[in-house]
Amino acid sequence: MILFEVFLNGLLLGGTYGLIALGLNLQYGVARILNLSYGEFFMGGAFTAFFTIMLWKFNPLLSLFISMPIAFAINWLIYQYMMIPLVRRAADQDVLDADVVLVTFGLFFVFQGLALVNWSGDLRGYSFLSVGVPFFGATVALNRVLAFFGACAIAFALFLVLRYTRFGSALRAITIDPVAAGLVGVDVRKFSALAFAGGGALAAAAGMLVSTFISFSATIGVEYTLKALIVVIMAGVGRVTGTLAAGLLLGVVESLGGYLIDPSLTIAINFALFIVILLVRPTGLFTRA
Amino acid sequence: MDRRTFVKGSAAVVGAATLPTVYAQAQAAPTKLRFGYAITLSGPLAPGADSTTVSNYKLWHKRVNDAGGITLKKFNKKVPVEMVAYDDQGKPDELLKLVDRLIQQDKVDMVLSPYATHMNLAEAPIVNKYEYPVIMTTATTNKTYDLGPRWPYAFWNISQPKESTEPVAKALADLKKQGKIKGRVAVVHPAIEYGVEMNTAFQDAAKAAGLEVVITKTYPFGASDLQPIVREVMATNPDAFIAFSYPPDTFMLTEQAQIVGFNPQLMYVAIGGVFPTYKGKFGNKVNGILAYGGADPTAPGMDEYAKAHKALLNRDYEAGGVQVYAALQFTQQAIEQVGEIDRKKIRDVMGSSTFKTIWGDMRFVKQLNANPWSVSQWQNGELVAVAPANKPGAKPLQFPKPAWS
Repeated sequence: MILFEVFLNGLLLGGTYGLIALGLNLQYGVARILNLSYGEFFMGGAFTAFFTIMLWKFNPLLSLFISMPIAFAINWLIYQYMMIPLVRRAADQDVLDADVVLVTFGLFFVFQGLALVNWSGDLRGYSFLSVGVPFFGATVALNRVLAFFGACAIAFALFLVLRYTRFGSALRAITIDPVAAGLVGVDVRKFSALAFAGGGALAAAAGMLVSTFISFSATIGVEYTLKALIVVIMAGVGRVTGTLAAGLLLGVVESLGGYLIDPSLTIAINFALFIVILLVRPTGLFTRA
Repeated sequence: MDRRTFVKGSAAVVGAATLPTVYAQAQAAPTKLRFGYAITLSGPLAPGADSTTVSNYKLWHKRVNDAGGITLKKFNKKVPVEMVAYDDQGKPDELLKLVDRLIQQDKVDMVLSPYATHMNLAEAPIVNKYEYPVIMTTATTNKTYDLGPRWPYAFWNISQPKESTEPVAKALADLKKQGKIKGRVAVVHPAIEYGVEMNTAFQDAAKAAGLEVVITKTYPFGASDLQPIVREVMATNPDAFIAFSYPPDTFMLTEQAQIVGFNPQLMYVAIGGVFPTYKGKFGNKVNGILAYGGADPTAPGMDEYAKAHKALLNRDYEAGGVQVYAALQFTQQAIEQVGEIDRKKIRDVMGSSTFKTIWGDMRFVKQLNANPWSVSQWQNGELVAVAPANKPGAKPLQFPKPAWS
């Protein structure tokens, strides 16, 4: 019975991993920008939720109406006014990657610094839906279940948009080949900016959902950027549903491995899985070879 | 005699001849006292450093200057304090460079402690080399018992693993004697030095006290989910659940114990259990929980301290940081007793005198704080100190911990 519960918790944890990584994959996959300040929007979403429930006494879910538009707008501006000049002057993708990493690394320090000045370095946390729910004899935390379904809903919505809308087709075309997409009449700059901004908004949403069951401070952003990056690399750049699947795999393996072998090995197990996947499928689990 | 030694020798003679004038100049009262510190202002340790240490440095700095400064009775004058601060980025090598700079270039009068055990241990030898007395405020390690003779200028303020875990074991043994519990204990800790050292000390104390440790589990620091561990612990049905945890996992263990409905009769968490945020998150469910360190909120001076803290920093004080403030009060009184900046004399006063602070009467024996607060408990929504039980202000332990809801 306990094994079933460990498996369920792994699934929920994996949903969280997928949730954290979805936005980054949108930014990296479509807009081709490896945004190292990604986690700062996650942190911003968490803080907005915290203030919403602790200061203003509202349901923290409502904070999504504040944090997502703000994150969207800031990311749109970053793309238009900081990334586009880099894209223009870059000779090829490698040069662009190097420039982008440096600039977004700088942005990471700026955002983290602003957060530290305004909100101090204190640890924060609040209780929301922190009750156990019985599920076929196992107990799961309601706030983790919420984050899990949030991840599934976002992934499903993204999947529908990418597959069945004209906008989605354009984004997929850009993912595969931005130059060719431009040649057939896709406004690459506009759509990439929207994808980048959308990725930032998803980071804020993930921050809100995850903040219901973690404690956090102004400096947690980078930790979640790294977690998201691992999932994105595992899934394959630009694969949205694959991101969720890779997150789930990571979560289940981590939980079962930790329980069956030793809990102090969970991080080692995670990275072992990461290495194996990179060796076997260097472009990611869900990319077409 | 070659020319170089001759020059040196004559320089010494000239120097000796001019000594009285130099000495006379040194008699002039300083216009300010400079305190310097290097501490982690960026990186993963920065939140803790800010909450526990830096905030108290700022608060003491403001309050001491509001009162006119430190009295130097040799000059019969109050002298204001100036602070020099650097960011060590959480790197011991950076810390060493910066402390060197504080002493050699900035010529500070006193040096203050950095943040976290390994940083305190890194700073101790260098301040000892330059003979700057420093109260190390955030080091918890069994090593400090042997460091007294080696580094006479380093003082260790907080409760070490042995003193921190023995009262917990003793409380459990007493309850067992009274027939209230069977003495079955479950221990978990993250795989970091603090957790390992506290666990080692507790296992010894538990054995000596006749307790039965039914399960000991280690998990990686920063784990994303601890519910399987809580489940395993719960399955052993212990009387007491002891976690030598760090802030993120202190919060997660508490939450997940509530989620699975694990209600041990006694529960202990280590770092983070005394944070105002802990109460903020869990509300009155914190009642009955024991935590590492702490302070007596009814001690003389605490009301004013709490008010000043709120006014300057716009947040409630952290009980784990009260000792940092007390270390500064102690240092200030040692300087005032000596009456001038003579660090050798200040060291000797610090090593032998008792001074009143908001953390109780403070005294160092073999450079270890003789009676630091080691265990606190949330009682009726307020954090009170429960051990050492013989220290004035200690409250009796409440047992059992109420069920979660």
